[in-house]
Amino acid sequence: MIYLELTSAVLNFDAPEVEKRIKRFIKEYVDNSRASGVVLGLSGGIDSNTIGALCASAIGGNRVLGLMLPEKETYDAKDIDDAKVVAEKFGLKTQFCDITPALEGFYKSIPIFDPAEKLCKGNIKARTRMVYIYYYANKLNRIVCGSSDKSETMMGYFTKWGDVAADISPIMDLYKTQVRELAKHIGIPHELAEKPSTPALWPNQSAEEELGIKYERLDLILYGLERFMSTKEIAEQLRIEESQVQSVKARWLAVEHKRRMPLTAKLEYRTVGTDFRLPHNNY
Amino acid sequence: MKEKIRLALAQISSKRGDKEGNLRKIEERAKKAKEQSADLVIFPELSLTGYVIRDQIYELSETIPGPSTQKIEEIAREEGIHIVFGMPELSEKTKATLFNTAVFVGPEGFIGKYRKMYLPTHSVFEEKRYFRSGYQTAVYDTALGKIGFCICYDLFFPEITRLARLKGAQLIVAISASPAVRRSYFEILTAARALENTAFLAYVNMVGVQDGLQFWGGSRVVSPTGDVVAKAKYDEEDFVVCDVNYSDLRSAETFIPTLRDLRPELFDELKKSSESL
Repeated sequence: MIYLELTSAVLNFDAPEVEKRIKRFIKEYVDNSRASGVVLGLSGGIDSNTIGALCASAIGGNRVLGLMLPEKETYDAKDIDDAKVVAEKFGLKTQFCDITPALEGFYKSIPIFDPAEKLCKGNIKARTRMVYIYYYANKLNRIVCGSSDKSETMMGYFTKWGDVAADISPIMDLYKTQVRELAKHIGIPHELAEKPSTPALWPNQSAEEELGIKYERLDLILYGLERFMSTKEIAEQLRIEESQVQSVKARWLAVEHKRRMPLTAKLEYRTVGTDFRLPHNNY
Repeated sequence: MKEKIRLALAQISSKRGDKEGNLRKIEERAKKAKEQSADLVIFPELSLTGYVIRDQIYELSETIPGPSTQKIEEIAREEGIHIVFGMPELSEKTKATLFNTAVFVGPEGFIGKYRKMYLPTHSVFEEKRYFRSGYQTAVYDTALGKIGFCICYDLFFPEITRLARLKGAQLIVAISASPAVRRSYFEILTAARALENTAFLAYVNMVGVQDGLQFWGGSRVVSPTGDVVAKAKYDEEDFVVCDVNYSDLRSAETFIPTLRDLRPELFDELKKSSESL
């Protein structure tokens, strides 16, 4: 077996080559699906800023609409400004929609709504944003481009059918630290590329605080798990407690349900989601 | 037999499931090859149907001979050219036993076929789910010299090209559908297979994107001393013509006498060791 040394160097990648492949992926998918362009949620965070820039560069900014979808509890003028900086620099179009009235409609109309349950409430926000994004995509004959990265996807750090909902997710095979590097490579300002991540489900939410680990370390643990390393090997190499690696692994395995189509009981000859194996028609 | 032949590497993007469209593309490239005085035009693995066709393979596969091979035989006859292309082959004896096959036709009609022996079923590949492995190497003695075959992942197993060479192949045609993350492996393997056998090797890879797999192209002709003497672009359709002169084999074999130095007794040991892996 190749001795894999888990240092930050393992996450190095050929940024120009990856940029080229991602842009090609976006362009071919949009062309093949005969869509007029893409719609994406533009939060001002690192992932959506990077995706907005890549899409604009791949198919032209006029065909890319970044929806800014703030709401009053998590509103942050800096996020809006950051999204505008990227939109201006890469030439993508933007639309501002305050989703607060829609959210308040949900809060009022759900008989069992409990504002103290912040995760349930936060998930409404992510799913409401999804509704807006898909509305624009339907109306404008566009596809939805997601901005989920590999770290969050492996950890299940997203809202099921919410922020992860998309037709394509071009950076889902890049860890968060790699997204930051790619962002800098394509010209996203350094300050925005290093900005801390937040899903903006409630005020002052921090991804790293919630995950309980810095992305620099998390990504190396996930990289080791991706390459079939044992938790013991990973812990020894990173000089950390094995329990921390075990906890990351447990979470990664526990949230597979969030990454798949819903399971069904196997009853017939070929079954959707299991052995109905068809090629993707747009790509 | 010709001592010097001209090859055309037809690096195409096949549209999945569109045999008619792909046949038109094959015909167009065959005409172009003939215009450039090529003797043999080579298309990628599963170029008739596309690579990622999953369960649709059962309706897209055909027997050989069958309608598509007959159509390509007609093209070869009309253009007076040899053609190699790839397709999913349906066994004549069963209803759903398939092979991943390279088909070889010439101006006189069907010459032969090669069924892929090593079917990748790991990572993004699921070929054993659909295909049965081939069991025979293929070397055909033609007007263009002795030509042997392998398909894509076969290149990782030196015994395929070695056997073809030992059966006299001067040119090994390797058709492929290799996605981009594996480019470096194939760039090494194509040179190695040519060099270790002192044979010409023509590698033709698919381009285009299918289910997220980006096929990298980079088709090439490698000389018997491992030099890349012609190369197509990465990632996009391309068409490259290259002359192959079999008289180079003699100087290559004397300079790198791997065939003279073969040790047959090691093959017995190899067999025993691989059986007990």
